[in-house]
Amino acid sequence: MIVLLFSLTTLLAACGGGKSANTSGSGKADKNKPYEIMWYTIGTPQKDVDKVMEEVNKYTKEKINATVKLKQIDWGDYDQKMQLMISSGESFDIAYTGGGNYVLNAQKGAFKDLNELLDTHGKELKATLDPAFIEGAKIDGKLYGIPSNKEVGQQSVYVFNKNLVDKYKMDISSISSLEDLEPLLKTVKENEPDFTPLATFKPYLPFDYILEDELPFAIPLEGNKNKVVNIFESDIMMETLKTMHKFYKAGYIKADAATSTDPWPLEVQNWFLRKEMYQPYAELIWSRSAGYDVAVQPMHDPITFNNSVTGAIQAISATSKNPEKAMEFLNLLNTDPYLRNLIDRGIEGVHYEEDANGKINDLPARVESYNMPTYSLGNHFILKLYENDPEDKWEAFKKFNDASVEAPTLGFYFDTNPVRTEIAAISNVASEFAPALLTGSVDPEVYLPKANKKFKDAGLDKVLKEIQKQYDEWKKNN
Amino acid sequence: MWQNTMKINQNSSPPTPLHKGNVQNQLNQPNKKSKRKKKYTVHGLSGFPNLLMNILLGSFALMCIFPFLYVIIISLTDEKTLARNGYQILPEIWSFEAYRYLWQMKDQLLQSYTITIVVTVLGTVFSVAMIALFAYAISRKQFKYRGFFTFIAFFTMLFSGGLIPFYIVATQFLHLRNSIWALILPLAMNAFYILIMRTFFQRSVPESILESARIDGASELRIFAKIVVPLSLPGLATIALFSTLGYWNDWFNALLFIDEPNLVPLQSMLMKIENNIEFLRQNSLAGGAQNDLLSAIPQDAAKMAMVVISTLPIAIAYPFFQKYFVSGLTIGGVKE
Repeated sequence: MIVLLFSLTTLLAACGGGKSANTSGSGKADKNKPYEIMWYTIGTPQKDVDKVMEEVNKYTKEKINATVKLKQIDWGDYDQKMQLMISSGESFDIAYTGGGNYVLNAQKGAFKDLNELLDTHGKELKATLDPAFIEGAKIDGKLYGIPSNKEVGQQSVYVFNKNLVDKYKMDISSISSLEDLEPLLKTVKENEPDFTPLATFKPYLPFDYILEDELPFAIPLEGNKNKVVNIFESDIMMETLKTMHKFYKAGYIKADAATSTDPWPLEVQNWFLRKEMYQPYAELIWSRSAGYDVAVQPMHDPITFNNSVTGAIQAISATSKNPEKAMEFLNLLNTDPYLRNLIDRGIEGVHYEEDANGKINDLPARVESYNMPTYSLGNHFILKLYENDPEDKWEAFKKFNDASVEAPTLGFYFDTNPVRTEIAAISNVASEFAPALLTGSVDPEVYLPKANKKFKDAGLDKVLKEIQKQYDEWKKNN
Repeated sequence: MWQNTMKINQNSSPPTPLHKGNVQNQLNQPNKKSKRKKKYTVHGLSGFPNLLMNILLGSFALMCIFPFLYVIIISLTDEKTLARNGYQILPEIWSFEAYRYLWQMKDQLLQSYTITIVVTVLGTVFSVAMIALFAYAISRKQFKYRGFFTFIAFFTMLFSGGLIPFYIVATQFLHLRNSIWALILPLAMNAFYILIMRTFFQRSVPESILESARIDGASELRIFAKIVVPLSLPGLATIALFSTLGYWNDWFNALLFIDEPNLVPLQSMLMKIENNIEFLRQNSLAGGAQNDLLSAIPQDAAKMAMVVISTLPIAIAYPFFQKYFVSGLTIGGVKE
């Protein structure tokens, strides 16, 4: 029933879109009175937000004559609530957004085009951002939000439980494909009954997805990069799924993998291998939160996808009464270390303490009442380092960003409007087949053709053609 | 699972007509005062069919109650055992850790509890009063515009404005955002209950009683308070029970209108935890972010413990309503 309600509401929310009053220019009547910037961001509401904002306001009043009201909306509620607020034309200034939602809302006209504002009110900000972010986040040549300056690329890695790796003296540095894993998984399966060799994950496939991961349209990262294909018809998919199915039959994967929602918490040592998204020195963080060591082996070189550059964006709403001030604030937030650290880490002496080397440590108050998600709040490179962070953390990030290869569709955003019904039908088919197929739960030789037939019936060819058309056009212009 | 158990609760209310039948039957035969009924009562089944019926209903009752027992068992299972073995009816290791965890977050829980209780009590009173007054008015033939007002109520059952207009009205015209009324008002009126109550008033409050009151010089309000309400207690209790369940289980209005953490009701808190886990599981965030965030969210056992503590009060409250279904109709009446 909940699912029904949600789908109904999102449907309604989608229908009510496109209504956003452009009221910029008004509301600047009183120059001296500080403007209050309404800022929505994701995350479980923290108790001390208002306390920290008081400090922030002291600073911003002086710097840009504005105050900030930060509102957090819970992880799971954020998308729906934002959708409602946007559809109902509510007035706010800055909102966190990311990925598909960023694209959808920008195309709908919910966010302000920042091309000019960035030049007039955000010069310093523009200079600090990796150009790949700005180029990648542009939709039809217009930038609708400020990406958080962090790792620009995406890299999937295998994460191993180091205790087991050491115990059986495994060599993980030579692993490059799914097949290479088999002897390792076998050892674990035979000797460690308490461990599930493979913590349920969907295998990495070398595709540049046009929409979401499970929708079948993508451009292959290897081979012909000009043609949009159905990933489920590719040879690599067949091979990968066969391997996954072999693993499944051998009992390396949990029997209920396709339907289980088990989050596989790191602290529980019941897994040997998992797949995660990497950023430099992530293994240290993982080991820390697990309480034992993990080892990492990359599956591919970092790639700059649309998804990775739009992963965390601060957008200025089209309903903002004072977008210039909002831009000024974003500029300050992303370039001023004091402000950025204040918002992210809290108040010095209350939420963290700093030692002689400029490294910081969380105080209990931060964990309890100001535990903010760093990634959604802006520039990472001006954040203070923790005591146990490696000295060269941000340099490593820069190196990682330099090494990241641009994906073929970076900056190409497919306009789904012409084929909306087909995509809805296809995504139904995808949610029917993808979980079972990608976890290896069913035999791909039987189910892949079945899935492909259903995809065809749902209008796959039409969508592929439309994507190809838009993609070719985009390529011509870029 | 929570939704399921509550639906079962609602489903189990239909025994009322049965009781009603019983009571009315007793009323019709006032001479037979014997409370000890003999085995060959017309209402009973004999022998084998009786056994079959008992088994059938018994197993149905078990099916209803099992999910809840299961929830209790899971809430008492050790967290690591859950991660390793999954849900089991007889877990390897029992643990009160989940309840200890809830005790740690008691400030927030108590706050949410208070909100839920205030909303439920206030909302039920409010909603029963509004529904009863509206329904009573349109149930009386003397009321000139009853057709029109019945239609207004009925119309909302067929068509609704949809979510966005609802949201706009509530936030931009009524300014209900982050106010406790946002949790009370949207559920206060219910067209379906109005129609039920209207029919109930028409059936169980005969015009002649009202007429006699009028002859004695009672005002309309007095008639309503002194005669109609006592006569309609069973109906009102049914509506009150439905509203109570509705308010107690409501999380959607809180999702829409409440941002302030100290105004979040219990069910909404549960939903939030559920949604957060779902979100973090589906959206892989780079680096350690995800694990840090996940570890801040209650795990399975704690979730189930929350279900237990949020279900128990309403399960306990139910029998108190139930007594009205039986006793209500025995008071007074006219013979026509």
